[in-house]
Amino acid sequence: MEDIVKRKNGKSLVNFCKDASLKIKKLEVDEFEIYGASSTNNELELFNGQIDNLTFAETKGLGIRIFKDKRVGYSYTSILDEYNIDKCIDRAFSNSKITFQEEFNYLPLESEFKNSKGIIDKKILFSEDFFNFDIKQKIQLAKKLEILAKKKDKRVTGINNLIYDDSLDEVMILNSTGFFDSYRTTSAFIYLSVISKEKDDTSTGSFFGYDRSPGEFNLEEIAANAVNRSVSILGGKKIKSQVVDIILDPFIAAQFLGIIASIVTADTVQKGKSLLKDRIGDKIFKGDFDVIDDGTLSYGLASKPFDGEGVPKGKTVIFENGILKTYLYNTYTARKDKKFSTGNAVRASYKSTPEVGVSNFYLKPSKTSLEKIIKSVDKGFYVIDIIGLHSGTNPISGQISVGAKGVWIDKGSFSKPVKEVTIATDLLSFCKSIDKIGNDLRFMPSGGYMGSPSMLVKDIAISGK
Amino acid sequence: MINTTLTKKILNTLLKTGGSFSEVFAQKKEVNNIRLEDGKIENSSSGFELGCGLRLIYKDSTFYAYVDSLQQDIILNAAQILSAAVNETSKIKVLNLSNTYSSYIASIKKHPSDIIAENKKEILLSVDSFARNYSHYIIQVSSNLSDLEEEIYIANSEGIMCHDSNTKVMLSVSVVAQEKKEIRTGYKSLARTSGYEVFGIEKPSVVSGEAARIAVTMLKAVNAPSGSQQVVIGPAFGGVIFHEACGHGLEADAILKDASVFKDKIGKKIANNMVTAIDDPSMPYHWGSYAFDGEGFPSQENILIKEGILQNYIFDYKTAKKMNEKQTGNGRRQSYRDIPIPRMSNTYLAQGKEDPASILKSVKKGIYAKEFSGGQVDPAIGDFVFGISEGYMIEEGVVTKPIKGATLIGNGPEILNKITAIGSNLDFAPGFCGKGGQAASNEVGQPTILVSEITVGGTEI
Repeated sequence: MEDIVKRKNGKSLVNFCKDASLKIKKLEVDEFEIYGASSTNNELELFNGQIDNLTFAETKGLGIRIFKDKRVGYSYTSILDEYNIDKCIDRAFSNSKITFQEEFNYLPLESEFKNSKGIIDKKILFSEDFFNFDIKQKIQLAKKLEILAKKKDKRVTGINNLIYDDSLDEVMILNSTGFFDSYRTTSAFIYLSVISKEKDDTSTGSFFGYDRSPGEFNLEEIAANAVNRSVSILGGKKIKSQVVDIILDPFIAAQFLGIIASIVTADTVQKGKSLLKDRIGDKIFKGDFDVIDDGTLSYGLASKPFDGEGVPKGKTVIFENGILKTYLYNTYTARKDKKFSTGNAVRASYKSTPEVGVSNFYLKPSKTSLEKIIKSVDKGFYVIDIIGLHSGTNPISGQISVGAKGVWIDKGSFSKPVKEVTIATDLLSFCKSIDKIGNDLRFMPSGGYMGSPSMLVKDIAISGK
Repeated sequence: MINTTLTKKILNTLLKTGGSFSEVFAQKKEVNNIRLEDGKIENSSSGFELGCGLRLIYKDSTFYAYVDSLQQDIILNAAQILSAAVNETSKIKVLNLSNTYSSYIASIKKHPSDIIAENKKEILLSVDSFARNYSHYIIQVSSNLSDLEEEIYIANSEGIMCHDSNTKVMLSVSVVAQEKKEIRTGYKSLARTSGYEVFGIEKPSVVSGEAARIAVTMLKAVNAPSGSQQVVIGPAFGGVIFHEACGHGLEADAILKDASVFKDKIGKKIANNMVTAIDDPSMPYHWGSYAFDGEGFPSQENILIKEGILQNYIFDYKTAKKMNEKQTGNGRRQSYRDIPIPRMSNTYLAQGKEDPASILKSVKKGIYAKEFSGGQVDPAIGDFVFGISEGYMIEEGVVTKPIKGATLIGNGPEILNKITAIGSNLDFAPGFCGKGGQAASNEVGQPTILVSEITVGGTEI
């Protein structure tokens, strides 16, 4: 099958943005911002070695913010013609009329930037190797992963999901202060979930690859991890409810870190929705841990030269030696706290306004191996997978209660598999209970690029029988 | 949206070099969303989308492409590219296209596009003041008012051709209450496949008041117990238990992949005799309802379980064809950018006979789970969870102390057999369901039910 043929175009994204700005300049607005995004996307689902679904597309869209009398309105469109861009602009303008008039509503000024421009080399955002893969090779790669997984263990009976998804994206911001910049990114994602069976029991396990190019996937590791996570739970049973130490593998730990990430953003703090309000300078973690948000990491898949409103991204140390040092800001929230923007304005896509969010967000690892940590545990629960993180956590109240499965630890070694239990705690107690962290920092896509090493967390309630 | 001649040309171009089925799905959509927080309208956004998705099925493979345009040359170009994916000698030509009809009737009285922005603003400001006046413990109110209007056109090589339109509105309210160091939340939403007339019938202040009541009640919450408990699950959103415990496992794509615990169980008893469960997208105005699914198949009631016996799965075109079964009108897609997949719509446990108050009285020691925050399931193994956002202890048949949020965990087939009482108070609640990267508007429903044994994930061991 041929790769998608470049349509004889057609305006480019740059031209749409420029034309839109000319139109807006004719109106009586105070300021405006045009956010343009385009994407070339391939998605492949495999089942039993055959293509189940194959999708490809090229899309473009514009998101327009209009500022008038210190009010802001927003509108987006994927219909890029004269008439519809005019309609989009008019709607953004009329939307501004019902929003709140606030002195903090204006576009970013250079004097507000915490990070200096040009820290990042745009070349780290895409991989030239990405373009060496045509659709046939991507299909081959996915098929190879399936074969690897099925060969790993004879208890593997089938594939639950095998999805490949890649994207070539371009993002552009043009605003009335004269800011006009863009960047391109490539990304490739592959997800494998396997089913294994033994006697009457069925178990699933999954793993993924997420890189700038499919050439960077470690298919062996993905297959081995998905299979291990599945077969290690075979024969797993509920255990009796008790309080015990738990060890979270890096990917589970990263998901818990994500809950912490949602309450260090200045908007949740300012709105009374964060347990870390008024706690700058307090020791939140028992351990001397550092938690960092870095939008310039060379290997970080959430790195960008500028944030969702054109402010340069940089590195912010949020927790240092366990102490909360700062929140994360966009320009609006920074103005309210009389601080500089940390470059954390995030937009999910051109359909959204810039809110506050994390980029490459991680807990700095220690020098202790996971092996050593496990050996130090007399009785514990090694968590391999959690279910219901979204429905089971309330980041505002801090309640955490999620389903879990994994392997029991007895006198420093793995013993029986456990499933259909929950682990429950509250967020601040969780932070105080993290006793040891490992040297195995790993990242995953989870509302930003979230990273953590393994964690040993003391005295957590497990509910079973 | 696309005339018959062009439609035929697109469908035939897709099938030019082979394939068994081709389809074009065109959509035009306008959305508005206004957000209130901190006592003020913080954000007012709108969106405009127009495009079409082209689908070609060849043996068991689906090839899909979408474009943000309804221009002839752009669509035909994409159709050419897709057809190049297949190279086969036997070719199908498109059957005569004839208008498909649905018996679904829902009339819209107040279109979102007719509502002036100031009126929408008033709804949100009244939500805010009503919640804040409920109690001095309320420290924050966030509310979203969103609406959607869309036109859809679907045609396929088997002769289906339908025109559809949808209007949806949703008001959601989140309230935060604080007393000393305790911060608690409450959430309620009102969502309908209808116009703004719904706010004349169901007052925004009721939604707001409920969210505020839950947040303030939860300030007094004690730690939830841990381990196996008897649980009374409240009506409406309590229906998420069935959605997770069973619903996803009945979606035919999971059955076909041998990734469901309900495979080969049609005709078998999978639940207690009193359990009847239904999926029905044809109920007018319900949040998960529609006249046609994402493949142009008319919506209809689908009885999934009848008196404990499994009757049917949830199908789309591709899975129905593969399993030699009838389509059920559950081939849904989020937009023209997505392929249709089997999805639930409005899924509920049918009305029982018991008085809900007696169900509560019958429990000596247990939990009353009244409101929920959603759930998740792994259909291949049947283990599911769902989160309690408002719950209470039951002591000697009386509802007593509120308990902090906890997750309930169970295994689908086991839990279906542990439903031992079903009340007479059927009600529904709206939500969103995520599957395969697509969000769908779904409703869940049930009366009050008693589950004899399920694990509660509290912290009180």
